Amino acid sequence: MTAMTLHRPRLKARRLTDVLSHGYIWFCLVLFVLPFVALLTQSLGERGGTSGIDNYADVFGSFGDNLLWSFKISGLALLVDLAVCLPAAYALVRYPVPGKRVIFSLLQLPLYVPGAVIGLSLLMTYTFVYPIEFMWGLVLAMSVGSFPLMLTPIVVALKDLPLVFEEAAECLGATKWQAYRKIVFPLIGPGVSAGLLLCFIIVFNEYLVTLFVHPPEVTTAPLRIFNLVRTAGLLPTTAALAVTMQLISFAAVLLFFRVFGTRYLKGTYLI
Amino acid sequence: MSTVRLVGITKHYGATVAVQDFNLQVADGELVTLLGPSGCGKTTTLRTVAGLVEPSAGRIWFDDQDVTDLPPRKRNIGFVFQTPALFPHLSVANNIAFGLSVKGAKKDAIGARVDEMLTMVGLAGYGSRLPAQLSGGQQQRVSLARVLATDPRVLLFDEPLSALDRNLRDTLKYSILDLQRRTRKTAIYVTHDQSEAFAISDRIVVMNAGRAEQIGTQTDIYLHPQTPFVAEFIGANNGLTGTVTGTDGAGDEARMVVAADGLTLRARPRPDVRAGDQVLVYLRPENLVVLPDGDGAEYDNVVDGTIDRVIFEGPTAQLRVDVAGRELRADISGSQRLTLIQRQGKVRLGFNDLTMIPAGAALTSAGSESASAAIANAAPGGTEP
Repeated sequence: MTAMTLHRPRLKARRLTDVLSHGYIWFCLVLFVLPFVALLTQSLGERGGTSGIDNYADVFGSFGDNLLWSFKISGLALLVDLAVCLPAAYALVRYPVPGKRVIFSLLQLPLYVPGAVIGLSLLMTYTFVYPIEFMWGLVLAMSVGSFPLMLTPIVVALKDLPLVFEEAAECLGATKWQAYRKIVFPLIGPGVSAGLLLCFIIVFNEYLVTLFVHPPEVTTAPLRIFNLVRTAGLLPTTAALAVTMQLISFAAVLLFFRVFGTRYLKGTYLI
Repeated sequence: MSTVRLVGITKHYGATVAVQDFNLQVADGELVTLLGPSGCGKTTTLRTVAGLVEPSAGRIWFDDQDVTDLPPRKRNIGFVFQTPALFPHLSVANNIAFGLSVKGAKKDAIGARVDEMLTMVGLAGYGSRLPAQLSGGQQQRVSLARVLATDPRVLLFDEPLSALDRNLRDTLKYSILDLQRRTRKTAIYVTHDQSEAFAISDRIVVMNAGRAEQIGTQTDIYLHPQTPFVAEFIGANNGLTGTVTGTDGAGDEARMVVAADGLTLRARPRPDVRAGDQVLVYLRPENLVVLPDGDGAEYDNVVDGTIDRVIFEGPTAQLRVDVAGRELRADISGSQRLTLIQRQGKVRLGFNDLTMIPAGAALTSAGSESASAAIANAAPGGTEP
């Protein structure tokens, strides 16, 4: 009897902490989700007698081109990133490059430089130094801004991959290229896909650098949203486009965790 | 089928010398072990044979072909690493098929070869599994199969058993020996484990500080160590330093008399040792016999001492005996070990075979001499006098 009465207050205190910590988690979740909900509500708003769903027709109608440009620019920028980062990461990890750490730190610079500064400097470069036609200037700008996000996960994956696999492959008769293609590349797959995901999310949603360097004929979806909001305020159709972009980014993240998450991220806080 | 010849192999890493003027000839079908403590350069030597490390100087020959400048893939070698190093994303069958497929072999031929190899290492039916689904021992057997599938000229083993537990090591070392004998492949095997080296080798190269100290069969190395390092590294030994004071007896009975650490010992004469020379004397603990009091006429050497300690080790009992102020170790086996467990006080030890090595027999002269002698005498099977 006495034991129970003694334990009672402690139990109560624990219950209270439980409630508080759960409450805190829910508060954070709501805080994060709230802007998305607001946008969703706005996107379903009626305009001139049509239903809210009709707003989404525009996403694939008049905004279709902008989405297409976004996909095109992101896709090409990712390819450029891959083409630069795969060999660069290999060289940085496997070869005794002098000043390796300094180089690696310098390569991270685009992450710390404000987008407006990158945009301005690239604009000047394209105008006065290397005139680049059509959309390639934009693609290169996106690659320059995002490649550290590709490079770092690949470098980490390569560092974690013991050299013995490549040596075994070469002793079995594989050329360096065969060893890379058949052994190294599949084994750093998680790093590569993490890089792809990060770069895609950044490039797909980028508008600030785009604002500076986009050619007149190319308007990506984020830029269109920015322009529309600036000129016409937040229309339900614009909100619908914004919601669609969020959904696409969300789908990319889900797809990544679905394909790689269960195999490689189990036990981390991500799953 | 191939002979392997290493001539004057040297490897520097900056100022550090990993391997110094290493010479070795491995006969066709022979299994030679490089044995030595960690950091002695044995793995570096093996990796130069594989082409994974470029020697600073020296040449490597497979038969009549100089392979020194060839990349690993053109040497047609089979390298078994310390870890199985199976490609984790490929099935067991695809791991074994890897070497054949990169060389462009036909699919049917690869399939048949993979099955043959799996059967050979006793893992038939495991082809579709991933490496992570196998035990450590099974993984190392797959790595053997993967290496043998390409029918290499030379097999190279870099401590392939060191990552496994003791029981598995014992079974797998005989599997390796058996496979090497059946396939009649020339092999170089690196280990720091003496029992492993003694169990499987045709010949052993004892390495120290980047050099070959002695090359020979198990009995050569154990019974006739040529350098102090070999005497101390292989098995247990009681080491004494002394001076030769003269010769005693004649013919077969001739013995050199050595004053060593307060004892007077008699050893078989060596042509390179004369009266007045400084020598190192080694007595194997198992050659020391406990004698009944007052006995010992049939032994060259009889010493009296006091038992410090008796350590019962199961098959043997280790006696630590204080003889003239220095401790000698005697390993006693058989039923006598049981009677000794309780023994204390004075004891008389007798022994015949002791090894005498000139104090000047440092690494350089003895190492390269025995190495070049080994090359001159190298014969198939590696059983030289």
